Amino acid sequence: MAASVRTLALRALSDSIRNIHHVSRCRIKHLCCRAAITGCRGYSDSTEGRSTHFGFQTVPEEEKAEKVYKVFENVAKKYDVMNDAMSLGIHRLWKDTLLHTMNPQPGLRLLDTAGGTGDISFRFLEYTRSMYDRQQRLRAKSHQTPSWQDIADHYVSDKAGSPQSRAVVCDINKEMLKVGKQRAEKAGITTGLSWVVGDAEELPFDDDQFDIYTIAFGIRNVTHIEQALQEALRVLKPGGRFMCLEFSKVTNPLLTRLYDAYSFQMIPVLGEVIAGDWKSYQYLVESIRKFPDQETFKEMIEDAGFFCVQYFNLTGGIVAIHSGFKL
Amino acid sequence: MSHALRTLATGVFSVQRSVTVLSLLRPVSAVKIRGQQRSRSDGVKDRETQPFDESLLEFLVCPLSKKPLRYDERSNELINEELGIAYPIIDGIPNMIPQDARMIHKSKATENPSES
Repeated sequence: MAASVRTLALRALSDSIRNIHHVSRCRIKHLCCRAAITGCRGYSDSTEGRSTHFGFQTVPEEEKAEKVYKVFENVAKKYDVMNDAMSLGIHRLWKDTLLHTMNPQPGLRLLDTAGGTGDISFRFLEYTRSMYDRQQRLRAKSHQTPSWQDIADHYVSDKAGSPQSRAVVCDINKEMLKVGKQRAEKAGITTGLSWVVGDAEELPFDDDQFDIYTIAFGIRNVTHIEQALQEALRVLKPGGRFMCLEFSKVTNPLLTRLYDAYSFQMIPVLGEVIAGDWKSYQYLVESIRKFPDQETFKEMIEDAGFFCVQYFNLTGGIVAIHSGFKL
Repeated sequence: MSHALRTLATGVFSVQRSVTVLSLLRPVSAVKIRGQQRSRSDGVKDRETQPFDESLLEFLVCPLSKKPLRYDERSNELINEELGIAYPIIDGIPNMIPQDARMIHKSKATENPSES
């Protein structure tokens, strides 16, 4: 279905190659078809003037992407500081857990969508490099005393670093990527890291390219989540892993009350004090409440075509890691 | 005598004025030159320290047609010949959002119409 619509679009394109309007119309029809098929879970059912949620507000779909863009444009410079302040540094543990769950071997290719300032990619490269070093050390230990030739070969091969572990950070927001790139330069990470401005719903990557696809704290900001999941399925290699780290529903009722109080009372205040932006952090907190819970999201991932979908709750369900495989 | 004094005074004033104007001009032009130099050196630095990573082209495609792109060094853009659009590369980061792409042959539209 999707393929035929796409070929239709391309044919229309070749007929009138200068008329880009045609393509956009076809793609919007394509979007509507797909959304209708999947049933637009969680979104308004009105067929005309389709609207979606932006935090607790209801906005037309076209506006959501723009509003989200503005939110992150405003917070880009203080993003990392605010993350530490709001989560009391626990976000680092969440991201580390994601990496440990992922357990990437050296030589893999990662697509870090909504990667923003590059937290996941940095951790990925560090993890694979230290794993590579550990493997080398184990290999060296098991060998007998190496000859000088072996040592020389080892040094030569080692210059390339870990065998081409590659991380591509993709984000819709240039400002976040700029901040991330500066961080990378400061940390001295140059090889194996690339930055691309792109839309998670329309990834500028070829099919079957990546071993691992991650989206950390980004998928709730996407207007059409099903589309982002479809794109993830497309760009992953067969056997590739989809991993999503996202805020989710808290399982413990007592913790829920504390968490809600903290979210709605503390976080916008922190946002105002540190980043000078109350509204963006109000949006953040509201968007967490609007995101589907663990089971619903698991079903959405399964519907997109992933297998062996499972989720792990972290910190009592405040955050969940969803994982699926493309087979 | 007064006439002479007057001409002297105006002469001095005009000299002073021209001196002040000149003194104002000099730092302005210096800043402008320095700014230009900085931008030029930044431009060179951009091109040297932040070049576009061509190995990305292995898997980078046009988000609309999913076809491979051509890297144009002169205009620092990624070009999709088929659709006639060019994606800019800023600070070595390619911008693959269709709305920000530039149409090549029709000069009246500088941006593609928005997609969704």
